[in-house]
Amino acid sequence: MTEHALDNPKPVIEIRPGGGWRALDLREVWEYRELLQILVWRDLKVRYRQTFLGVIWVVAQPLLTTLIFTLLFNRIGHITAGTNVPYSLFVMVALVPWTFFSGGVTASSNSLIGSAHLISKVYFPRFIVPTASVLAGIADLAVTLVLVIVMLLFAHVPLTPQLMLLPIGLLLCLAFALGVGLWMSALNVEYRDVKVIVPFLLQLWMYATPVVYPLSVIPQKFRWIAALNPMTGVIELFRASLLGDPVPWSGVAYAVVMTALVTISGAYYFRRMERLFADVL
Amino acid sequence: MRSIEVEKLAKKYVIGGVKELGYRTLRDSIAGLFRSSGERAQRETIWALRDISFTAEQGEVIGIIGRNGAGKSTLLKVLSRITEPTEGVARLYGRAGALLEVGTGFHPELTGRENIFLNGAILGMARAEIARKLDEIVAFAEVGQFIDTPVKRYSSGMYVRLAFGVAAHLETDILIVDEVLAVGDASFQRKCLAKIEDVGRHGRTVLFVSHNLSSVTRLCPRALLIEEGRVKRDGPSHEVVRFYLHSDLGTTAAREWPDSSRAPGDQITRLRAIRVLSEGEIAPKIDIRNRVQIEMEWEVLQSGHVLTPNLHFRSEDGSVVFVTQDLDPVWRGRSREAGRYRSFVEIPGNFLAEGTLIVSAAISTVDPSWVHLFENDAVAFEVLDTMAGDTVRGDYGGEWPGAVRPMLPWKNEVVER
Repeated sequence: MTEHALDNPKPVIEIRPGGGWRALDLREVWEYRELLQILVWRDLKVRYRQTFLGVIWVVAQPLLTTLIFTLLFNRIGHITAGTNVPYSLFVMVALVPWTFFSGGVTASSNSLIGSAHLISKVYFPRFIVPTASVLAGIADLAVTLVLVIVMLLFAHVPLTPQLMLLPIGLLLCLAFALGVGLWMSALNVEYRDVKVIVPFLLQLWMYATPVVYPLSVIPQKFRWIAALNPMTGVIELFRASLLGDPVPWSGVAYAVVMTALVTISGAYYFRRMERLFADVL
Repeated sequence: MRSIEVEKLAKKYVIGGVKELGYRTLRDSIAGLFRSSGERAQRETIWALRDISFTAEQGEVIGIIGRNGAGKSTLLKVLSRITEPTEGVARLYGRAGALLEVGTGFHPELTGRENIFLNGAILGMARAEIARKLDEIVAFAEVGQFIDTPVKRYSSGMYVRLAFGVAAHLETDILIVDEVLAVGDASFQRKCLAKIEDVGRHGRTVLFVSHNLSSVTRLCPRALLIEEGRVKRDGPSHEVVRFYLHSDLGTTAAREWPDSSRAPGDQITRLRAIRVLSEGEIAPKIDIRNRVQIEMEWEVLQSGHVLTPNLHFRSEDGSVVFVTQDLDPVWRGRSREAGRYRSFVEIPGNFLAEGTLIVSAAISTVDPSWVHLFENDAVAFEVLDTMAGDTVRGDYGGEWPGAVRPMLPWKNEVVER
């Protein structure tokens, strides 16, 4: 399916059997950017309109999770931050990207099924659907980020120039959430039990990622396994930029490579499965 | 100028493959690896479209008709790029928009205004374009001061009017419309039809799928008849409609579904046969003086539902002549056991007008309102006036208008001599 101008002044839409592996048509996605915007806007509007508690929840959730984790792992489990930063802040900083990631993956993996009525009635680049779900999480991320910075200032943890690295961490986290989201959403259309697996997977994943413990507790010879997980690099980078930990350059490099692999392969897999969506949903 | 070119378009569905792919699980797939290939090969393919070719010039308004399952919807889905063809190619010259449903993407929590923007964007309209037409859309939909109210508080009529209002203002070179007019009250339907006629007049190409034969003949100078995934007939719409009504296997007056799983209906009831009888015989042509019996044979698969067969009679121009439902006191309000039933209704002689009557059959539950099946254009028959002098015509041989032609008792009195 390509759109191009021939001698005919009008655009020509050619419809023929597709198939095989195709790259993402970024130009077409760009043409539909207003739809992407409006779907993100709809998600946010509906979420915050339906519940007055919605806004409070965004603030309460990271605070409560931090509280529980601190009690559980620090007070009872005696895990420490490894630096002189309070454990609660150490965890809270990691929860910012983690909550965004897990929320984005959950939302996008269900997004195609949730939008079945659109997909079976209207044409638009399907890529927009999981992307909008991931992007809608940015609002919550912004709120929790502000909350964390306020807490840091409150606890007299000084902000360092490394804060400038935060956007890299954010972008990396966004790209990786999108990559995993593309895989899961397309798999979820084909295999309906993916929906059941995703929450479980994310829970295991969190414990495999240095969210509640520092990377330093992992023995040196197993570090490479942790480095294969881009969320390790993302969280390390968040801690470096917000808490002033040393910048984990090699961890970031691994994360960039792995994110690129997952996201690009996700886009290809999504495009391959895309033509079946309307028939299957 | 050429607007649409369709060449040998075909679409295959794999039953037990693609269609049921959605209900496959990872667990099954992994288990499937250990099964022999013979077991996995039990798949049935269905060609929803086989060999569709046609072209349309810019500004043509083309109706697409055919029975349920003939492939009309699949054709529209392929042309609106929702699903890909298996073979063949179609070219659309210009911007194309598809309305396969009104109000696609409408969200109940959002206000009317917000939904206009959302729905417009989904249909492919630019935000600036929607903003420019906002007032016009609101006026068209007659929702007035409710525009900033969440649509979940709208009446169903308002909801549909707003949804159609957005759709009707979609300005594309090619417009693909499916059945969307089967909504709203009669006056709003007329307004929508007028709007579509208007679209055609502005040099846009319209493909219009409808079950309403009268709107097809009225709106579309040309029609395509789709049968078993092929273009069976292509020509002036009144000719195609006439052909459609008489093209049934042997007779138009009876239809049977020997295979229950393919018969129209749901998990509760299915229609297995419908026949037009006169004097005990299947009768495609009926003497205007004779009684006509319509017989429905249907099965109940699930006991415990109150089921009411009903019949809808339309004339050739698509207007409804009358609707009748089963009021048999024995069965009224009584739930049916699983089994096979036969329902009859008798139309008296000297009641119907001359011409073709098209009968759609339905089985519904009245409370809660639930249509289990609605078989459009199930059977058709022709009513003939023998001109023997003992009909409503008497000795008059000219044109006799009217949807029905009842023999009514006339009386005369001498008032003054």
